[in-house]
Parts: sequence; structure tokens; C-alpha cells
Amino acid sequence: MNIKPRRTLKGHQAKVLCSDWSPDKRHIVSSSQDGKMIIWDAFTTNKEHAVTMPTTWVMACAYAPSGNLVACGGLDNKVTVYPLSMEDDVTVKKKTVGTHTSYMSCCTFPNSDQQILTGSGDSTCALWDVESGQLLQSFHGHSADVMAIDLAPSETGNTFVSGSCDKMVLIWDMRSGQCVQSFEGHESDVNSVKFHPSGDAVATGSDDATCRLFDLRADKEVAIYSKESIIFGVNSVDFSVSGRLLFAGYNDYTVNVWDTLKCVRICLLYGHENRVSCLQVSPDGTALSTGSWDYTLRVWA
Amino acid sequence: MEFLFSIHLIIRLTGYDLIEWLMDRHALDESEALNLANQLCQYGYFFPVSDSKNLVVKDDSSLYRFQSPYYWPWQNRPPDNVEYAIYLAKRTLRNKQRHGLEDYELEALSNLKKNLANKWDFITMQAEEQVKLAKCLKKGDKIIADSQERAYWRVHRPPPGMVTSLEQCPVPTRSWNGQRTRRKTLEDARREVELLRKSLSRTRIKVSQALESMIQHVETYAEYDPLITSTQPSNPWVSEDVTFWLLNNPLVEVATEKRVKRWGLSMEELVSDPTGLQEFTNYLRKEYSHENIRFWSAVNDLRRSSHSQIPKKVSKIFEEFLAPGAPCEINIDGKTMEKVHQEMKNPSRFTFDAAQEHVYTLLLKKDCYPRFIRSEYYKNLLANGIQPSQKKRFFNFGQTKKKISTTNAPSQNLLQQQVSQGAATCGVLAKRRGSDRSLSGSAHELAVSGVKDPKVPHSHSQSNLSDIPYRVKKSNMGVVAGASTSEEVCPWETGPEPRSRKNSGQSESSSSDISVAVAEISERVQRTNILTQQHTVDGCRKLVVNTAELPRRASVSVPIAYGTDLTTKRKVSSFEDNSSAATSTSSSVFVISSDPDNKTEENICKTLKKSHSIAKTCSVAGTNAPIISVSSVADDLEDEDVEEVKDVPEDPKEIPIEAEPSSSAQQIIEPLAPLAEPDSESPASELPPSEVAVVEDEEAKSNDVCPWEDEETCKVDTPFVKTYATLGYL
Repeated sequence: MNIKPRRTLKGHQAKVLCSDWSPDKRHIVSSSQDGKMIIWDAFTTNKEHAVTMPTTWVMACAYAPSGNLVACGGLDNKVTVYPLSMEDDVTVKKKTVGTHTSYMSCCTFPNSDQQILTGSGDSTCALWDVESGQLLQSFHGHSADVMAIDLAPSETGNTFVSGSCDKMVLIWDMRSGQCVQSFEGHESDVNSVKFHPSGDAVATGSDDATCRLFDLRADKEVAIYSKESIIFGVNSVDFSVSGRLLFAGYNDYTVNVWDTLKCVRICLLYGHENRVSCLQVSPDGTALSTGSWDYTLRVWA
Repeated sequence: MEFLFSIHLIIRLTGYDLIEWLMDRHALDESEALNLANQLCQYGYFFPVSDSKNLVVKDDSSLYRFQSPYYWPWQNRPPDNVEYAIYLAKRTLRNKQRHGLEDYELEALSNLKKNLANKWDFITMQAEEQVKLAKCLKKGDKIIADSQERAYWRVHRPPPGMVTSLEQCPVPTRSWNGQRTRRKTLEDARREVELLRKSLSRTRIKVSQALESMIQHVETYAEYDPLITSTQPSNPWVSEDVTFWLLNNPLVEVATEKRVKRWGLSMEELVSDPTGLQEFTNYLRKEYSHENIRFWSAVNDLRRSSHSQIPKKVSKIFEEFLAPGAPCEINIDGKTMEKVHQEMKNPSRFTFDAAQEHVYTLLLKKDCYPRFIRSEYYKNLLANGIQPSQKKRFFNFGQTKKKISTTNAPSQNLLQQQVSQGAATCGVLAKRRGSDRSLSGSAHELAVSGVKDPKVPHSHSQSNLSDIPYRVKKSNMGVVAGASTSEEVCPWETGPEPRSRKNSGQSESSSSDISVAVAEISERVQRTNILTQQHTVDGCRKLVVNTAELPRRASVSVPIAYGTDLTTKRKVSSFEDNSSAATSTSSSVFVISSDPDNKTEENICKTLKKSHSIAKTCSVAGTNAPIISVSSVADDLEDEDVEEVKDVPEDPKEIPIEAEPSSSAQQIIEPLAPLAEPDSESPASELPPSEVAVVEDEEAKSNDVCPWEDEETCKVDTPFVKTYATLGYL
């Protein structure tokens, strides 16, 4: 493994809480504790837009598949959509799409600019119609705050996975709104969930300092990624595009890279000076972005 | 954290020992142990004895003291302000010098006084009590207790501007005794029962099977994972070169070979790539069976469109694909049709899901997709796929040499034979490598077509090069060369594989040798050997003859070390017309010399000029020969010429002599060439693809010359493009 820091994105004045890659593979949207959302050209490290939200702790942000739209939200309980354009002020065309009864912890566009899937502290997930703001489907089943969601990697995929503070990982059918599968095993809050690129398994990261791999077809936990010396919680996980590497951002300021098949740690990425709050592999797999409470984002390759 | 129990009795220890102990205890390396120690310090499990401000562990002889377990963060819930007020008040009651408050603490105290005014009596009472108790302690114990208490508050009430690890996210409510899960409702229980009932009947595969398929998946995709297998031409984040992205845009004219290969992995891979979907649709359109894929795409689009558009889109899809007598009626069975009709009563995003599923699994996946993958259409895509690795390939001398040496030695022999045997051998020569034939053949055709239609429909690398006005000279060259240089930079910078790095290093050095050499000797030395070899078979004789004046040709040696095969290629195509020969030669020279070391700007300029002069000579020569040079030269050159070129500076005199034989050899060959061409051409087109595959396999990535030549067997126009592509990559 020869992954090194390649870029440092400085500009946030507070903890970076969430980030997402643009489908163009070089832009990143990030949101922070002070209510700022910044659109970066990560390749040049320039800031292209900066939006101030009328709330603090913007805990979720996401790029739409077209790359022309971003959504974000947090303690305001709302998911707000901003169309991106170079000419106008981004905030002019903002639009509130949905409202939860508690904070919004995660959001994503399910292969479409026209819908948003959100997870919330009110222990539900919801699918919204962007244009009308209509609630298309809600997903009840967790008994505590939903912390993370991820879509199955399939063109027609109608399933997604959610992880929650009730230590459960649930698989959902987006069409029926039913929970179709559940996994337990974590001993603390599940902070992050991610589908394996094959779509047959999900990886999770938890406050119990472990990452786990659950296989959908075997309906079981098939791997656990932990070490005696790793005693801090995992905030975010993501796979490399082949699924061989699992990146996990920890509260001890590090990123651990796990070999998913051998269950051993391949390397540690040092650099951040506070908790790593979010990480994501770029859509083409060429780079890894990490966001941290040290106010910066970094790109590794 | 139990392990801390075992050592908390130790009162203090040095940072060095601490790190050492962690390393031993957990088999950590030093940096990880240091990180862990710092984290534990941040959380207040131990603290620096002498520094009450910074909670940092250093790997030296500074002293650290363990915190009393009473203060460990996971033992208690976070302290409240009353406790803090008592602590601060206590300190004001004690020795000013040792226990004086910091500014920020004074401020906090006055704030607390205001906010907790109603409790302040209680607070001062508590504080006095505690001070009294403390007086009973032994002095040593007192100091330790004080420092521990202080460290505790340092962690929980840090000075302004300091980060604290204990800071909680305001959500979720992770307070220590907070309600973490909401109470279950009847509804919850019902759902749970439902889920459990369903999972009773779930079919599960064995874990071993699941893991097997996961391993399979990972292994299949490892080569597409840029963090495992280095990307071609380079990872933009590493090399700062965005070529990779340009080549892999969602929609491209011509996909890279790797991408096309990926489409062959599964139907999902194909349709999830916009270019793949487009090609697939095009293919099916040619077969007049694209209604299925169009239906599938339309339904996908429907599922993703906004709510208000659903009814409109549903009826549109029905009209187009499903209604009796629809313009693009799809074939689905009665049962599915019935389902659709039922769903149509209540149109939704999922109305056509059943039909889509049917079309996808039965028609597209089981029928169209396999046919597509087996089709000539796909094979052509594969064959014409861009190979960004070409750039690099050139520098894989280590491997190419090996390969060449096998093909090369015989070819040398052949040359010699030809010298003696004359015409008879030309066929053999042509057969030496199928790929060569194909190249020359196609180049020949291009010479004709390329001139007429200089616009080459190819992506990216060609986009620069296709702009080259073939008949235009000098003036445009700078631009062209510049453009291609900019792309070039990466192979050197990145050198993703050690092997290639080494190789490029070699070539680089040789090139700089050469350019120096050129600068020095250019005017005097003979170049002939190179030139002639490049034009091995025919035309070259004339060149040689005509250029017999040649003091300038020395400069030709420049490209060789570096660009051997490329220059040759270039020339092959360039023969289409004299002036274009001039253009290409010179530009290639420029590119070559400029990439590797930009410092030698002067040389470059000289080279450029010189190459022009060569070009001129070439063109003079070229007039007589409507010619295709046999490209094999590239091989010959790499081994010999590089060395020869290096020799040049040392004894320039010798080389002309050496050169003579070879040029004479070619002279002899030359008359044969016209005959050889038709020969070489026809077998080229017959070259079975399987052979191509074999060659590619053998050479894997590092192959230098053949793969793209081989591909050309499949398509006639591409070689031209390829030629340019390679040149560009140089």
C-alpha cells in the first residue's frame, strides 16, 4: 500500500462533519459544525461555493448524480436542496424538501436527482420527492437514531441499508418500505454502513471500535475488523472499488485500511489532528477523501 | 481499557517508557503507540507532570503520571458546573502562588458566581470543607491529588482554543444516563414479528459459499481498482495529469480497452456505464432489436423521475412499448402483461417493474448481452479501445528488450540474409511479425485515406493530433508538439511500477546523453545507420542515397533512443506524403527530446531544426517512393541503436563506418520492398484475432509494439490514429 496525502482542503472554520464526492470525480461537497457548506474543486483545492445554513451541525450533505444539485441538513431537521450554478448565488434557489421530527443525520440521492433518501434522529428513514417535497415512503423499524444509510450498488437497486444507535443494521426495500433483513452483532452505536461493491454484503463501523462485514445471502456476520490496540470508535467506512480494501475513520484521528479478505490491517493513515468524521472513496476509486474535526479535509491517493 | 488497571499503581514514568510499554504490550509500531499514548493522554488517563497546559505525550524522558481511576472519563458522567465551581473556589482559598487561577479560570469563576448565585453559599462551604480535609493528607499525597484533580479539570474544562476529545456531538443523545432507545410500540413489535417470520423462511447460502463468491468478485475487480492496481496512464491525484479522467469520461467516443473489457464482466457493468449502454443500444439497433433496452432504460428513467411526471411517463411508455400495435412493442408473456395492466390502473414509479424484470433477465441478460459480447461489434470495440498504457509501454525497455531480442535476432539475421539473398527473402521479412505487416499495410491505406480525410474520429489523444494539418510545415509544429508534451509528462512523474520507473529512468538517461551528444556532434556525425534502419526496407535506400550529404542527420539519432518505435511509426504514416513526413518527423523529434528533460531547451530547438532538415531530405527522397517502410525497425533499433547512439559522442568517426553496412543492406533490400508490401498487407488482414490475443497475453501490459499493431488488423482506419496516439504519448 502506498497511499499518501495528496491534497489538504482548508477553509472550514469548524469541525467538518460530512462530505461527498461529485460524480465528476474531482469536486467535493462538505458541511461543518458552524453551518457552512462548501463546494470544493478538490483537484485544485479551490472553493467554488460556500453556503451558510441557518443552523449549526450540518451533519449530512450529498451530491446528486447529475452533479448539479447538492442536499444538506442537520440539526434543523430538514433536508435542503441547492442547485449549483456558477452565475447565481446558490442560496437563491434553495429548496426545503423534507422535514423530520429530529435531526437529519444522513442523506443520499438514490440514482436520481428527483428523489432524496434521508435518515434521522427520529429513528426513521424517508424517501422524498425533490420537486414537490412529498414524502414518497417512510421506513420505520429502528428503535433509535439512524446514523447512516447506503444504497445498494445496482442500477435498478431498490434496496438500501441503514445503521442505527440501536446497534442494528437493517436492509430495506425502497418500494414497499419494509425491512427485509436485519443484522445484529455490534455492541454499540452503528455509525456507518456501506454496501460492498458486489452488493452482497455490507460493512459497518461502530462505536464499539470494530468494523464488521455482514453477508446478505448468508444472512450472517462474516468478518470482524478489530484489534486489541484499537479502542476508539469508528465514524465512517468505505470500500475501494474492488471491495478488497476497507477504509475506516476512527475517533483516534487515524484512518485504518483493512484487508477485507484477510481481516488484517494493511496500514494506518496519519495526518488529521482530530477525529476523522467522514471518509469516502471517489467514484472512480482513484482517491480517498477524509473530513475531520480538525477543520480540514484531505484527499489521499 | 482494562490493561490500564494493571499499571495505574505506578505513580509516574517517562514518555519513553510509556511508549515502549505500549509497543510491547500491543505489538504496535512506534508511531501507532505514540498515537495511542496521546489519545489516552487527551482523555485524561495520564498526564504530563510538568506541563499542565498541553496534553501531549512525547517519546522522551519527560515524566507522566497516571490519573486516579476515580477521574477516568468512563467512570463518571461529565462533571457539572457546581463541581467546577467548588474546585475553582477551593483553589482561591489556597496558596496563591501554587494554586492561583489562570485568567480563563478567573473568568469562569466570576461567570459561575453569577449563574450559581443561589448555590454559592453551598459551594463555598464545600470548598472550605475540602481544603480542610486536604490539610490532613501527607505532603506527597497532597501534591499528587492536587495534580490529578487539576489534570482532570484540564481535560474537562480546557483553556480556550484547546480541543478536547471529550467533546460530545450534540446528537445523538449519548449522555450517560440518557434514554438511548425509544420505547417500543405495538407497531414496532408487529413489524418485528413480521420480519422474524420472514427470516424463518429465508434461504441462506453457506458462509463458505458467500466468501468464495466475494473472493471471486474482489479478484475480478482488483485490476479495476486504482488503489490496488495502478491506473493507466496515471492516477490524476498523484501525477496531476487529468488524462485518465479525460479518457474515462462517462460518455466518450472511444472507450479505453480496459473499460470495454469491463463491460464483458457482467450485464450490470455494461449498462451502468453510460458509454457501455450507448454502445449496447447501438449494437441492438443494428440488429433491429433495441426496443428491449430502450424499454429498460425508459422504465429506469421513470423510476427516477419526479412525482408529478409519473402519470405522463407511464402512459408514454405504455403507448410506445406495450400497447397493442405500439411502435416498439416489446415481447412479454401474458402473465406479465396482465400484471402491467393491473398496475396501470394505479400508475406509479413501479408500474412496469415486472415487465422490466422480465425484459432484463430473460431477453437482455440471457440473450442480447451474450450475443453482444460474442459479436464482432464488441470485438471491434475491444480491439479499438484506447490503451493509455501505450505511453508507458514504450518505457518498459526491460521487458520489451527481452521480447525484442527474440524477435530481433532473427530479424537481424534476416536482414543479413536479405543482403545476400536479395528478393527471395522479402517475404520472410514481411512474415517476421504479423503485427508489422498489419502496420505497414494499414499505414499504406492510410497514406491514401488519411490525406483525404485528415479528421480522425478518435478521442483525446488524437484530438490534439488530429488537428495537425498534415501538409503544413514548421509553424504548427510547436503547437502540436506542445500539446502532446503536456500529456506526456506523467509517465516519468508517476512511474507507478518500480519496473517501469527503472526503465524510464534508463531511457531518460540515454536520451539526455543523446541530446547532449546531438548538441555537440550533430553537425558532424553520421546518422545514416539510424535513418536507414528506420526505413529498413524500401524507400530508405533512396533516402540514404539522397541524403548522402547528410551532416545533419545526426540529429535523427535523438529520437531513436527514446522514441525508436514511435518515430518509425510516425514515419510509416508520414510517407503518405512528403510534407507530412516532414511534419511528423520533426514534431516527433521535438516531443521526444522535450519530455524527458525540459532543461535541454536549446537542444530541443536544435533538434527541431535539424529534424526539419531531415524531413526535407526525407521528403526529397520520398518522392520517388510511394512507400511504406517496414516497421520492424523499431525492434532493431531499440537494442542496437540505443547503444550506438550512446557511442556516438565517444567516437563519432567509427559510426559512419558502421552505418555503411546497414545502409547498404537496406539498399539491397529496397527494391524488394514494393513487392513486400502487398504481401504484408494481405496476411495482415487475415491475421486471426486469436493470434492477437495470444500476443497480448504474452506481453501483458508491457508489450511495446505489437498490441496496437495487432488490433489494427481488425480495422483499417485506426492504425493511423494509433500511430498518432503513440506519438502523442511519447
